[in-house]
Amino acid sequence: MNILVILRMVPDAAGELLLTGDGLGIDREWLDFQLNDFDDHALEDAILLKEATGAKVTVIAIGEGTNRILQMAAARGADEVIALPCEEDELLSSRDLAATVVDLARARSADLVVCGVQSSEDLFGQLAPYVGAMLDWPHISGTNRIEASGGGLHVTQERGAGVSVTYEVVLPAVLGVQTATKAPRYVSGSKLREASKTPIGRGERQASSFTLSASIEGLRIPEETGSAQQLGEDAENVAERIVAILESNGIGRR
Amino acid sequence: MKIYACTEGRSGQVDAVSLEMIAAARSLARDGDDVIAFFAGSAAADAAGKFGTADRLVAAIAPEADIVVAGTYARQLCDVIAAEGAGIVVVPYSANGLDVASSVAARLDWPLVSYVEKIARDGQSLSVVAQLYGGKVLADCSVPLPAVLMVNPGAFAEATATPLSPDRIDTIDIAELVAASRVRPISIDLPDFSDVDLKAAERIVCVGRGIGDEASIDLARDLAALLGAEIAGSRPVVDNGWLPKLRQVGKSGQKVKPKLYMALGVSGAPEHLEGMGQSDMIIAVNTDPKAPIFNVAHYGATCDLFELMSSLSERLQPSDT
Ligand SMILES: Cc1cc2nc3c(=O)[nH]c(=O)nc-3n(C[C@H](O)[C@H](O)[C@H](O)COP(=O)(O)OP(=O)(O)OC[C@H]3O[C@@H](n4cnc5c(N)ncnc54)[C@H](O)[C@@H]3O)c2cc1C
Repeated sequence: MNILVILRMVPDAAGELLLTGDGLGIDREWLDFQLNDFDDHALEDAILLKEATGAKVTVIAIGEGTNRILQMAAARGADEVIALPCEEDELLSSRDLAATVVDLARARSADLVVCGVQSSEDLFGQLAPYVGAMLDWPHISGTNRIEASGGGLHVTQERGAGVSVTYEVVLPAVLGVQTATKAPRYVSGSKLREASKTPIGRGERQASSFTLSASIEGLRIPEETGSAQQLGEDAENVAERIVAILESNGIGRR
Repeated sequence: MKIYACTEGRSGQVDAVSLEMIAAARSLARDGDDVIAFFAGSAAADAAGKFGTADRLVAAIAPEADIVVAGTYARQLCDVIAAEGAGIVVVPYSANGLDVASSVAARLDWPLVSYVEKIARDGQSLSVVAQLYGGKVLADCSVPLPAVLMVNPGAFAEATATPLSPDRIDTIDIAELVAASRVRPISIDLPDFSDVDLKAAERIVCVGRGIGDEASIDLARDLAALLGAEIAGSRPVVDNGWLPKLRQVGKSGQKVKPKLYMALGVSGAPEHLEGMGQSDMIIAVNTDPKAPIFNVAHYGATCDLFELMSSLSERLQPSDT
């Protein structure tokens, strides 16, 4: 089985985000870039499948800081790692990236493409269903378990409210991973050092294959609605006020 | 213009988000437009009374298929649109919708905007407000028609569930399409609420990733016990195996509406808010004053959650007397 994993480096949105002067992007200069969380899980599922079936895993990465991430992927067991070029300040749109992934999947005779279910920059749609529809391959997003079964896969998808559905999937297929079958593994420093020698291939980007697209007219930081009544930052004081609030609402201690 | 609202459900039930999509579609309709609810499954007839204010229902039915996989759903919807034409398709941001929206946009070569919060129709285009970076940034987008929109649950109030007369329901047999699919559901796991049913809980203490590690969950459990509350977690807490899945609140967890929801170290991502934003009283504790949870909380505190748990537990201890 040939597995293609797509990794995207996205800005760490945990801190404060500032907008660029033209209001059309976020100021990336001081932001850290990190691997899209869900892609980390996609990588883990690919490596688990490799361990179960002897599949070949090719990892493609895009965004700022890909070399480090590709070395990490090699240390975790990827057979081949490839970096895609990316414009500085580029919002990584899955809609644009899909044509490149489709091209790579064909060129490398992939049986399975795996990526994270979504990224924080997926304003114009998600990668797995785009690639699935463009290749006319089956695709499932929101997976939390993938197992090889016969020549295909058994894939479990979360449907919400505690309901999950397991599907039999015929390959070739595309999966958008939500949570890996097992938590992403830790790689030791020595493995990482060894993997730093792994040659990193360079891929090419294809132009988007879509004719019409939506466009961003402007970005804004949402106004804080300020609905919360602030109780302060001193824990003792806050605790006292919470107890009073609960009691006055008839929900005190039990 | 035909405006399609994608609806979902199982076993004769229609998910609440379907009525929200019908409301979204209705809000965009002008005189002479048709709001069409699209459903794929096994039992739309049982649910026909629940398609709200749609003008018509197109029900793609395969009698054995309680779950129609997204690829088949999208393919059939595209066929209907090819035959009838459409100007706008609204899809819910759900497990199914995540696959359907981009798939339809790719197959039809139409623009798509995801995580939509607001839509205004403006001649032959739409002005759309959508969320980026987990809700920390809003994008004002211009969307040429025809287009697909993936709409956040909660962005539109549910349409009223008025019955549709049979002459406004078109049924398509998709049994063959379902059988030809290269994805086949083989089992459905339904939750067993005998251990805990968060939906019925009146008080919930929810811990987020800010709790740090598994051992600290016990501190929150002690606090919950003192409040007579159930303990719950955000997705990372459950993904880490610190709490069982049935205790997850949010989009892929449970939707709760307790009298008290105490969120400790939860940032308030849209997928979390989807599960608890309707709680009667929300108290949020988060060291980050900009955490989005404060936008839905009734009371907020920016102290350390461990210090708060300890002070609060002390005050809630039953007195000896
Ligand atoms: C399809 C899909 C479905 C999803 N379903 C769900 C779902 O059902 N439920 C869900 O919760 N998420 C869901 N998510 C994930 C969601 O997008 C967020 O990633 C998640 O809710 C974040 O969890 P969190 O707030 O616990 O963690 P974080 O976002 O990491 O927030 C942790 C917070 O803790 C605060 N903190 C840290 N230390 C302290 C301290 N000592 N004291 C006080 N505060 C502190 C930080 O300031 C931060 O705000 C889903 C995502 C997708 C794509």
